[in-house]
Amino acid sequence: MTRRLLLLACSLCLLAGMAQGVPCDRDGDDTLTAPELATAILDSLDARFMGGTVEAPSPVDLRDAAFIYEHWDGRTLTITDSSGRTTTLSRPLRRIALFNSDTLEMMRSLGLEPDRVVGVSKYVLEDPVFYPEYQGTANLGSTWAPDYEQAASIRPDAVFLYATLSESSCADIEKTLRSIDPGIRFFRFDSYRPATYAEEARTLGLLLGKEEEARRFLSFHRNVTGTVAGVVDAIPAEDRVSVYLESWHDYKSAGKGSGYDEKIELAGGRNIFGENPVEYPVVDPEAVISRNPDVIVKIVGAGELAFGGYGDDDRSSFETVCRTIGNRPVWDRITAVRDGRVHIIHSDVIGGPEYFIGTAYLAKWFYPDLFTDLDPRAVHQQYLEEFQHLDYDLDEHGTFVYPA
Amino acid sequence: MLPKRAVLLCILVFVLAAPAAAGSIERIVTPSGNGLDITLTLTDIPVGGIVETLPDGCTWTEADHPENRTRVSGQQVAFAVIGEETIRYRVQGPPDVAEAFAGTWEDLLTGESGTVGAGEPRNPGPGAATAPGTPGFGCAAAIVALAAAYRWRCGR
Repeated sequence: MTRRLLLLACSLCLLAGMAQGVPCDRDGDDTLTAPELATAILDSLDARFMGGTVEAPSPVDLRDAAFIYEHWDGRTLTITDSSGRTTTLSRPLRRIALFNSDTLEMMRSLGLEPDRVVGVSKYVLEDPVFYPEYQGTANLGSTWAPDYEQAASIRPDAVFLYATLSESSCADIEKTLRSIDPGIRFFRFDSYRPATYAEEARTLGLLLGKEEEARRFLSFHRNVTGTVAGVVDAIPAEDRVSVYLESWHDYKSAGKGSGYDEKIELAGGRNIFGENPVEYPVVDPEAVISRNPDVIVKIVGAGELAFGGYGDDDRSSFETVCRTIGNRPVWDRITAVRDGRVHIIHSDVIGGPEYFIGTAYLAKWFYPDLFTDLDPRAVHQQYLEEFQHLDYDLDEHGTFVYPA
Repeated sequence: MLPKRAVLLCILVFVLAAPAAAGSIERIVTPSGNGLDITLTLTDIPVGGIVETLPDGCTWTEADHPENRTRVSGQQVAFAVIGEETIRYRVQGPPDVAEAFAGTWEDLLTGESGTVGAGEPRNPGPGAATAPGTPGFGCAAAIVALAAAYRWRCGR
């Protein structure tokens, strides 16, 4: 295996010295002008169809030149990813490998053509319902157990990794793959964090030549988040509902600055463990009782509660979880339990790129009277049809929230 | 795999891949004086190329397309397309060759290619004729590929 990797590294290094300028930029000033592009197109047509003997650009150079002219104003593109790293590109990305499945979902929202993706994480391949078009794509393993040989053999021109999740594992992947093929570009995006979500979609849109699609998607996203924010921002702090959020591990909650703490706040709730300095603290059941939350939100979809989501139509497990919470000793004293305000939500719609759908559900649960017109299910359906391009009917399939 | 997941997979295998706008070019040939006016109307081809083959008996006259985006060689004319939606050119020749024009196009952003005039023809109006689609290079390539496949199957 090591010998094969070394052989691969040597052959890829030989290929790494390819020209890096803007293709078809005849005067070499790093700007592809309309006359330069026109000459390249005519030379290509002349050589291929008209019997001309002029030296023509290769089909790849010509397509890359057309992309750069149309999407990057004929210039190299310099972008900064979510790790703060700046990269300059003189070619569009044609062979993309992603260890980050959340970024793959965001790219799909931007209309990325599936044939530009040459490698995906094992989680994508384990989810044929949500990612049918990527079944059969090369399996890169995971961030924690990468398949380097596979990743190098597919010859990606770009590898996408998480920016803030598993940073050391991602750094290891980058270091190893860079040593095999110095020509690979590495990009770090999260694609699930509310604070950076819109900027990441804009940057990816530019990177992929999907600027208009990014604008359209962000308009949809902003419409949802803006609707929620417009209402909850007006609720005084003392009037906000108190919320206990629990992950798929019993009594594991969300502390200060965690992703779920941020989402509770976005939905206008007050996290009862929001002052806990531990990001995901395991809390004492007595502490929950004494803080007496108005609403309880339980997340399922992983660990011992790995059910629900896109590939599961059976709601009964959600009902069981909800009932079990109400049956915990002495929890019948908690206002949320007494008032029937215990809600179950699947991690697919709250923990990843669909977080804004989950946030809409939370807001509706927190303030049902203020969000009578908000229909999170309709938002979800629109997202799947219009942006994920999936023929998936939520009325017939999937389990995401309980009570529905 | 659970049966219901298999059913779901079957349903979702019909995933609607983000449809890129399909390009097309329509050609309208209008007799005018002792020549023909040809109008190419482009749909959803922002950057691409066109090669038109003029019928025998026709000679190139001029185009409203920029000179540095047009190249003429014998009976063939190449146009570089960068944002144009219409290209008009003029040839000298008999009016009865209107249907003998042939052409092919390429969209350099999507990689699509096609035959000029292969789309739904529109009403050309009085005195005008819409040239029917003519087999282009794509068809020729397909025939070559079929022939190669036949030869391969025959072990030759």
